[in-house]
Formats: sequence, C-alpha cells, structure tokens
Amino acid sequence: MPSGQTVRACCDRCAGAEGSAAAAIVARRRLLKAAVFPSRSGQPVTVYQPERPRSRFIRLPAARSPHSSETEAEPPEPARSGSGFADTGHLPRAVSGMVLDVSPQVLVLGDAGDEQRFTLTPDAVAWRGGQLEPTALRPGDHAVVRLHPSSRQTADRIWANIGRVTGIITERSGSRLVVSEGATRKPRVVAIQPRAIGRIQVRFPSLEPGYLIDIIGLRRDDELDGMIPATSQPAYPAARLPTPPLVSGHVPDSIAGSATWHEPGDEPPGVLGVCYPALDPETGCAEEAESGQTDGFARMPYLAIGSVLRVRNECTNLDCMLPVTGCAPVARLFNDRCVTCGTSPRGRIADLTMASFVALGGELDRGCFNATITIGE
Amino acid sequence: MTVLNAVREVQIPLIAALLFGACGTKLMRAMRTGSMEEGLGPTALFPTRMRTPLALVMCVIEFGLATGLIVTAGRLGHGAPATCIRLGAGLMFLVATSALIELRAAKPDVGCGCFGDFSTAPVSGRTLARSGLLSVAALSTIGLPAVTEPRSGAHLGQLLAIMAVELIVLGALSPELGEGLIRLGYSEPCELRAMSAERTLAALRRSKAWRRHSGLITSYEPTDMWRELCWRYVVFPASCQDRASEVVFAIFLTQRRPTIHAALIDAVTSGPLPWPVYQAGLRRRSQLAPALTAGVLAAPTNSAGHDMPLSSDL
Repeated sequence: MPSGQTVRACCDRCAGAEGSAAAAIVARRRLLKAAVFPSRSGQPVTVYQPERPRSRFIRLPAARSPHSSETEAEPPEPARSGSGFADTGHLPRAVSGMVLDVSPQVLVLGDAGDEQRFTLTPDAVAWRGGQLEPTALRPGDHAVVRLHPSSRQTADRIWANIGRVTGIITERSGSRLVVSEGATRKPRVVAIQPRAIGRIQVRFPSLEPGYLIDIIGLRRDDELDGMIPATSQPAYPAARLPTPPLVSGHVPDSIAGSATWHEPGDEPPGVLGVCYPALDPETGCAEEAESGQTDGFARMPYLAIGSVLRVRNECTNLDCMLPVTGCAPVARLFNDRCVTCGTSPRGRIADLTMASFVALGGELDRGCFNATITIGE
Repeated sequence: MTVLNAVREVQIPLIAALLFGACGTKLMRAMRTGSMEEGLGPTALFPTRMRTPLALVMCVIEFGLATGLIVTAGRLGHGAPATCIRLGAGLMFLVATSALIELRAAKPDVGCGCFGDFSTAPVSGRTLARSGLLSVAALSTIGLPAVTEPRSGAHLGQLLAIMAVELIVLGALSPELGEGLIRLGYSEPCELRAMSAERTLAALRRSKAWRRHSGLITSYEPTDMWRELCWRYVVFPASCQDRASEVVFAIFLTQRRPTIHAALIDAVTSGPLPWPVYQAGLRRRSQLAPALTAGVLAAPTNSAGHDMPLSSDL
C-alpha cells in the first residue's frame, strides 16, 4: 500500500509555517528596491505586506464581527498612497472554515466559540464532489466560501472538502497513487474513485511513476479522493522535459497563460500570494533538488520572493497585485492550456494560493482560469 | 553520362555523412536527456516501453549503413556487399519517408527527430521531400563502379560543385538548418539568462560603485540578495555616521561592465538616507577587514555626487 515519505524542511522561499518571515521579506525587498529605483514608479513607495491570518477566516475590516478574532488576508493599506494595488473591496472574498450548521438561508462557519454566519442567496451553489444544494452540506465539512461582491455577509459559492493534488506520481498500487508535490511538501496519497476512473484515465493515460498528475477531489483525512482531472497529462515523464523553445528579443512585461491553485499545505489558509514557476535558480531551494529541473517547459523571466505581480483573471476581468510567496516546482513542468474562457496561449504562469484564486473569481472545481500576469509594476 | 556518374559518386559520401550526423545527434540527445523514451520522431508512434529499443536500433542501423557505404565505396567490398548496403540505405530512407507520413497524420505536433534536438519542428512537406530525395539518391548508387580518386582537377571541381548544389537543396529542405543557425547566433534575453551570484558579486566588487561606497560597508558578505528580471539586488550592512544602515546595490545582469545603482538606507526603517559627504582624498576609513579592502581603498575615488541619495555608475 502506498505510504508517505520523509518530508524535507521548507526553505525560506516558501510561505510555509514560517510564513511571517516570507511576509517580512516581501515587504522589505520591495522597500529596498524602491530606494534604489525611486523614479521607476513615479510615485511614492508602496509596500505590500501579506498578513498571516491567525484563524482560517479572511475578511475585510468592515465584515469583522465583534466577537471574532479574524484577521484580514486581503492586502492591507499600503504604507503610502498611490499604491496601484487593486481595491480588494471590489473583489469577491474567500472565507474558509468548518461548517457548523446550515439551513436554507444561513450558513454557519467556525470553530468552537468562534463562528460566523453568512446569508445564502437562492442562487448560491455548493460543491462537494459535484454540484449540490447548500443545505446538503454537513456539519464538519471544511468549506471554502466565496462571498458575494455586494455583501460580505452573503455566501456566493461554497466548496466543501475540496482538495487538489498536483505533482509527480512516485508509487502506484491499484487505484491508489502516491504523489510528490515538491521537496518541501508532504507526499500525498490519491485514491481514484471507481466512478471517476474512466474520466481520469481519458485525461491521464499514464498513471505510472514518473508521470505528472493533477487531480481535484475530496479531502478525506490525509488522502484525496480523486474525482476530477484538472488538466490533460503531458505526454512526457516529468524527468524528461522537452527542450524549451528558444526565446529571443525583449521579454514582454505581460504574460498570458494559465493560473492554477494549490492547497495551503503548511501555508496559512488565507494568505494571498502566488507561487511563481521561475524563481532565480541562484537563490537555492530544496524544490530544485526534488524535481531535478531548473528550467520549466516554457521560459519565464526570473523573479524572487517578494516580487510583485499583477494577476488578472481574463474570464472575470478581476485583477489584483500579489506578492510572489513561493516557487512552483511542479507547475513549470506542465505544458497544458487552460480552457476556462478560450484557450490560454501558454501553460502555467502562476500557481495561486486558494484564497487568491477564489478572490480573483476562480472556480476551484475547474482548476484554472485564463490569466495575464504583469511584472515590474 | 559522365555528369550522371559524378552525381551518383557524390551521393555516397554525402549520405554517409548525413547518416553519421543523424546517429550522432540522436545519441547526444539521449545522453542529454538520459533516455530515448521521450518520443521524438517515428518512435513516438510506439508504446513508451518500445521507444528506447527502437531508437537504439535506428542509431545502430544508421551508423552501420554509414560505415558500410564508406567501406564499400572503393574496391573493398565492391559488388554484392556494396549493393546490399546501398539497397539497405535506400530502403531505410523509403521506410523513414513512410513513417514520417504516418507520424504527420497521427501526431502532427511531433518533430521528425531525424537530427535529435534540432528536429523538433513538426513534420512538414520539406521533411518528407528530403527523406524521399535521400532514398532516391541512395538507390541511385546501386551498380555504381568502385569510386576512385578524381582523375583531374576538373573532375574534382565537378564533384565539389555537384556536392555544393546538393547540399544547398538539402539545406533548403531541412528545417533543422534554420534551428541550428538560430542556436549559433542565439543570445538569451537578460530576463531569462542564468547568471551566478558569485559572478555578480565579483562584478560588483570590481565596480566604481563599490569603490565609492565600500567605506560604509561593515561586512564583506551580503545580508540579502535576490533577483528580479534583469537586475540582481545585493544588500550589505553599513554604518553611516554611527547609524546602522545598509547599502543596496542593483546590478544589471550582463556579462561585462554592468550598470550598477546604489542606495543608502536606514537599517531600521528601510527609508533612503543621503550619502555622506566625503572630503576629496580623505576617504572615510573602511570598517572592513584591511585584507579585504586594501585593493578597494587604493582605488581612485570620486566624491562627486556623494551627497545624492542614489548613484548610478557604469
């Protein structure tokens, strides 16, 4: 039976358990860069410091209930005006927590002594392995809720127990797979459900060690019940990436492609950030050793932790500025396309945290949205 | 007839050279990737487990035919052995043409793999025409008398001219030629260029910006270093008028004489500070170890602009 392997220590590039250190790096590097190039932006220095929520809730200040201890995960006010950051008040927001109670009108999330109520609109939809009525949610389900843009107390969309495993298959035993998501993440076990095996094998014909997999499903303890193929499997094994095409001339500041999401893992669940597939290899990180690949399928400009990207969801026209909080060692191995609204011109350019993905209007069960990232703003 | 014979004579070394090249580039690709399972060329039509043996067989056949063509070109092996080898080469190109037609229909996005990594462009009409031409060329050598040294300078010139024309035709039919030329003259954009941190630091320590500001720096080792697009940022602890501060350098990632910007910032607030004013020739004594800074301090300095909050040096 497949089992997990030893977990490597997380490096400082990951917004992991030591995420506050990463947040400090993000803020500090941005300040230092502005000190060297004060005239580049033509406006006062902007600092974006992603907060590390103490609980699993994410809300704007106006939504804070008097009895709760939530902290905001949206970008806080910049240190000075003229930030250029998206006004997150216009973005749908993500909240996550355990379902305590649900009725046709109200959803209650929270932990013991710390609960929050959301109004359910008649068109609110839930997902738990498939579309269902919100009332079908069960107490104890872990829900990710997107709030209605017009009201922070109204739930727009609910995903219960949703999980995702993206990585390299390392072991297979029947319909159970052990998947490596990178050196700094714990190996995951995926149990492919009998009713989903057909649709998964159509998109992932090689469920063998060494091949890539990207599955969305239901989290159950430490495993994932694989239900939906999030993409199509590349034909090549992960260790034998095709030669990336040559890039010449000036690299454009805006790059269009596919934005995906990943489970929080060791990250705080509400952190807003993006894992970028092309961090400077000189920085050194344990992920490099695991995948053995320093370059991805598509060449992208090198960045570092603390670089800020404007990420735009081309399907919803929502955008915001997000800091690079980690590397995406697996995302860069894929050469897939997102077809949520048209076909993305290239593969994965950003691996968003769950909160960022939902805040930008992404549907978690679809796995990706067509995105454009702008570097250097 | 003489010209036709000359054309037939040229085919043998030409085909042999192409076969050696094809075998060599395939092996180089296998050595680079560590496997032949990746499925480039007609092997992509087969299951994964069969790709490596098939690719190996292909390499062996190419090498064997190329060697055989050379060995049997003269009097040695003339007759039946030479005919067998030449027929084999012709048949191999015919089979390859058919396989490429099949590959083009079944997997239109896969390259022919004829010359390893150079042949990643999808199979096109040109690729098919080249393969067909080579099969005709190989078959045309059947029955050719033993190849001898050129009888005269004119004969040699004729052979070279025919070879040049054929190479031009083959080049026109080869997508790999364009790819090869691109790689020869390729220069990566600076945003994608890997450059070691050691090299960046070495360039920084040779620069005028370093000589100008090293007097403030208290440690030879940077406290932070990161890269963004074409710039690498390096932060050194510094002390300015007994105030804890930091010097931040932004180094443009180029091979020679990088542009360097520098800023002095407060270590606590990270806000920019004005550079201290030095008297010409009385440079502030460095707090770095003398062994590390002797060369640096001996360098000529220019105090102009030291009171500015940032500097830019070539």
